[in-house]
Amino acid sequence: MIGQAPKPRLLARSFWLAWRDLVLELRGRSGLLAAVFFLATVLLILGLALGPAPRQLAQAAPGVLWVALALAGSLLANRAFGLEVEDGTLEQLLLLPGEREWIYFGKLLFQFSLQVSVGLVLLVLTAGLFYLPLAAWPGIILTLVLGSLGYASISTFYAGLLVRLRGREVLLPLLLFPLVVPVVLAAVRATAGLAQGDWSEVGAWWRLLGSFDVIYVTVCALLFPGILEGG
Amino acid sequence: MERATTLKRSDPWVRLWLGAGFLTLLAGFYFALSAPPDANQGWLVRIMYIHVPTAWVGYLAFFGCLYYSVAYVIRRKEHYDRMAAVSAELGLIFLGLAIFTGSLWGRPTWGVYWTWDPRLTTTAILFVVYVGYFVLRAAIEDPELRAKAAAGVGILGSINVPISYMSVVWWRSLHQIQSINLMTGRVTIAPPMLLALMVNLAAFSLLFIGIARLRGQIALREALLEEEP
Repeated sequence: MIGQAPKPRLLARSFWLAWRDLVLELRGRSGLLAAVFFLATVLLILGLALGPAPRQLAQAAPGVLWVALALAGSLLANRAFGLEVEDGTLEQLLLLPGEREWIYFGKLLFQFSLQVSVGLVLLVLTAGLFYLPLAAWPGIILTLVLGSLGYASISTFYAGLLVRLRGREVLLPLLLFPLVVPVVLAAVRATAGLAQGDWSEVGAWWRLLGSFDVIYVTVCALLFPGILEGG
Repeated sequence: MERATTLKRSDPWVRLWLGAGFLTLLAGFYFALSAPPDANQGWLVRIMYIHVPTAWVGYLAFFGCLYYSVAYVIRRKEHYDRMAAVSAELGLIFLGLAIFTGSLWGRPTWGVYWTWDPRLTTTAILFVVYVGYFVLRAAIEDPELRAKAAAGVGILGSINVPISYMSVVWWRSLHQIQSINLMTGRVTIAPPMLLALMVNLAAFSLLFIGIARLRGQIALREALLEEEP
């Protein structure tokens, strides 16, 4: 899979790692489909709980979208390293020469792509079921991209941290959710502003999301090799 | 070498820090009780003399946890891991006290024990982050793996401290809401109140250092006990 270049090209490595994981994920299907159906169920339950009044539903829609996406993220995070451990391929990744940040970036790219694609499906579902106005859709998609990057940066890091642990399915959300609250909060606010056509605050929330992304990705990438090393 | 220092009955530094802390606390208690009542809050303002120092020590402890977690990642010494855990433990206790005293103050002042003020919410989130830290520590048997994973959580969690704080600031500037700020008392604070607050801050900080040192030694003994058959 990985090129025979004399010098390791880490960017290409990251890309191919993410590509391989995505191909495996699409061939396996079970994970993604399960996540999407789980989310559809969550949306139905929330719809029932919040009542049938369209105005209330539309007001709750940004929150519903991001809470559902956060739940999906914790399901998807287990996919990041699950197969590596099952197949024993993590050791082979670790044996490759060079620094190990590229493993993080590869997995991040993989998680990010999953998160964004599930997010797009969710966005359509929320627009249909909860009357979320999509007039400002480019802005909402930008919010989705920024929010997913912040979320994925932490979920990938923790997935790698807990990779060999029993009971990680329970630990992961517990560690993950408190840390992503600022990201989810900013994303909800930006989405709500866009949905209501009130642009006054949206730029500030985007800047906030952008700075979260930069900080989290940087720190996680710096820490990751030390945490994973030797396992 | 390590064993010899371990078995020494008591460390003079611990006694020094704790003694100084208790003496300062007595002085702080005196100043707190002799300080005048606040114009708006009346005698309720006295809760501040416990509330602000506990919150301060809570944040200090989480920065201690960050410091020792970074030191562990770089140096890989067990001592740093133990001290990171001790710091986080004390941080949880003091932050819990701060939330408790804060809600006692909030009931008569705001009429509720809890409001969704950004500062309260971010503090509660911070609390949960470090509860997760200890759940993680409890879940891992292997000491080295536990130390590594805990260091990761400790560092990322501490990053949440300033981020949460900044998000509070941004939130306010965005919404322009005149929410009740826990820190407003400090702006218009009268000199005797400031003195009482400062002395109490010093007392809690000294106590924190003393307790952290003592707890670190206990943790070391526990670790040695585990190693020996």
